[in-house]
Amino acid sequence: MKKIIFKNRYTLLVAVLITYITVLVIEGFITGRQAQFLDFENPFFDLNIKDIEAFRE
Amino acid sequence: MNKFHLLQFHALLQREILEHRNMFIMAPAILAGLILLFSVWAMTRMGQDTVSISIEYMALLFDGLSPLEMAPIFMIPAIPFIGIFYFCAIIYLMNSLYQDRQELSILFWQSMPVSNLNTVLSKLVTIGMVAPLFYIATMFALYVIALFWLAILGWSYDIEVAGLGYMFLAAVASLIFVYLSIVTTALWLLPTIGWVVLFSAFAKRTPILWAIGVFILVGFLEEFIFGTQFLGNFVQSRSTPTQYLILDFQDIVERLINYDMLFGILVGSILLAGAVYMRRFID
Repeated sequence: MKKIIFKNRYTLLVAVLITYITVLVIEGFITGRQAQFLDFENPFFDLNIKDIEAFRE
Repeated sequence: MNKFHLLQFHALLQREILEHRNMFIMAPAILAGLILLFSVWAMTRMGQDTVSISIEYMALLFDGLSPLEMAPIFMIPAIPFIGIFYFCAIIYLMNSLYQDRQELSILFWQSMPVSNLNTVLSKLVTIGMVAPLFYIATMFALYVIALFWLAILGWSYDIEVAGLGYMFLAAVASLIFVYLSIVTTALWLLPTIGWVVLFSAFAKRTPILWAIGVFILVGFLEEFIFGTQFLGNFVQSRSTPTQYLILDFQDIVERLINYDMLFGILVGSILLAGAVYMRRFID
């Protein structure tokens, strides 16, 4: 395993990114982090790109 | 950590400052010079009455008030310095490990008794703790010059300027808050710093494009594989300045010891560990 990870810079990068994203996803599931990407809330107006139909209206 | 290691780390920090003195010393000095120049120009455009009324009003406004309570007001003049610092910090972090490999000076440094871990740590300490000190010192010099200037003008107009002393104390207290805010920001944004440093250690060319491109790619892959958007949400949840600004000493513990801060440090450490191991691969 160690040999594969440290084989070259690309395998190391992939290993680091897999660890990073796995930790984020597990933490997200455990804490129930709400995915609200591009949901831009402020005191003046609400903008949620995912809900594009409502935005048009 | 014995005395040798401390001296070694100190030497690494000195190296960083000497190699990047334009970003850490010249940039704030030029900005302070420009602000001073603009202030002199603005004062000459104002009438004598307006200047004397403004100085009198400032002296009265701060007279007898607690400098610590008034300090947050002086976070506003610090915004240009903080903006320039963040801009320089991104450039510095992006080039920090990339430049070594480009110049092949990495071969020299790896022949020295300096570990890759110490090299990466020295860059983090430089940007998180040492470089802000130069910005703070420049702002302090600017405030001292401004105080003397206002005091001399006040005396020449025969105005009571005792309140300017309180204003100066508030400005100095604000510098402590600015420094603490920058240190807290460095810890809060450790995942971002780790990401940038990782690609600085990885990329053979254009590390900034690698960092942005892979971030977008990983975001898409996360949605494709797990059907979630935790990466985007994680970044979004850490991008509000109120999460790391310190405007009161009571804020320090609250900002530094909380779940999100500690989790961010953990995640950032994974990326930084990757950057340390990435230093094994030299082009």
